[in-house]
Amino acid sequence: MSTGHPFPSQAWADAFKDAVNQNEAYQKHGKPWTFGKVAMAVKAEPGKGIPDDAGFILDVHEGACRGVAYVKGMDAMQEAPFIIVADYDRWLTVIAGDVDPIKAMMEGKLKLVKGALPTMLRFVESSRALVNSATEVATDLDAAPEPPN
Amino acid sequence: MEPFVALAPGAERNGFAPMLAQLVRDNLTERPTKKDTLRKMRGRVALVIEDLELVVTLHFHDGGVTVHDDFHGIPDTTVRTTAEWITKMSLIELEPRFGLPDPRGEVAREVAKAQADGSIKVHGGLPRLPLMLRLTKLLSVVG
Repeated sequence: MSTGHPFPSQAWADAFKDAVNQNEAYQKHGKPWTFGKVAMAVKAEPGKGIPDDAGFILDVHEGACRGVAYVKGMDAMQEAPFIIVADYDRWLTVIAGDVDPIKAMMEGKLKLVKGALPTMLRFVESSRALVNSATEVATDLDAAPEPPN
Repeated sequence: MEPFVALAPGAERNGFAPMLAQLVRDNLTERPTKKDTLRKMRGRVALVIEDLELVVTLHFHDGGVTVHDDFHGIPDTTVRTTAEWITKMSLIELEPRFGLPDPRGEVAREVAKAQADGSIKVHGGLPRLPLMLRLTKLLSVVG
């Protein structure tokens, strides 16, 4: 029996926030980050249990994560100055740590659809630390995604 | 006249090409002094990312740049390295006066060492040194 959280889901978002705040590398490399929230958007794939675009809005600031909101639709994510989009299967490889986020962006597998790329590149190590935090979250890969409320 | 940053038809199939075009556009917006740098650039630079098996060609012409998938024409300079080093090269510190790579910078020193040990191979860089220096300035996100 799996004890992990479905991805994506609010429970996963809450666990991710905790993992980020326990990540010393993120605290260090993310310390200069004062550029606002970052959204991780999952493209709608009804056949995989994601009827609408959904995503996490990470309220990251100065090396800490102040909250993670799990929201429905790209419109809801526009409050974030940075939005990264990928499909469901791609995010699964990212949160498993199988993909380096910057390499994935170079290959077009993750797309920065909003926000300044130079800023993201200046925070390469910070991005990697966020991904490492995601790998720390117990994820139930067999569970169906839970849509946002 | 504003310098242009264009993606050649079909270049979007190479994920790195649109990313490079976006990087140049965002850099020009954040640091408008780079527009003069771009206007002065002439020639073709091929970037070969060996671990991702991707090639893009930056064709500098008519005061702007067109980004192509794969090799396009005969490059004046070819840079062969990994995705990791390509990312590092965008983090090279520039000295403030002329915007040239700052040899005292931590990343600049790492990149120089990588060139010396062959982790970054630059073919035809020396004869086209001004082009390479301007490319470094254009792509740098830290100066």
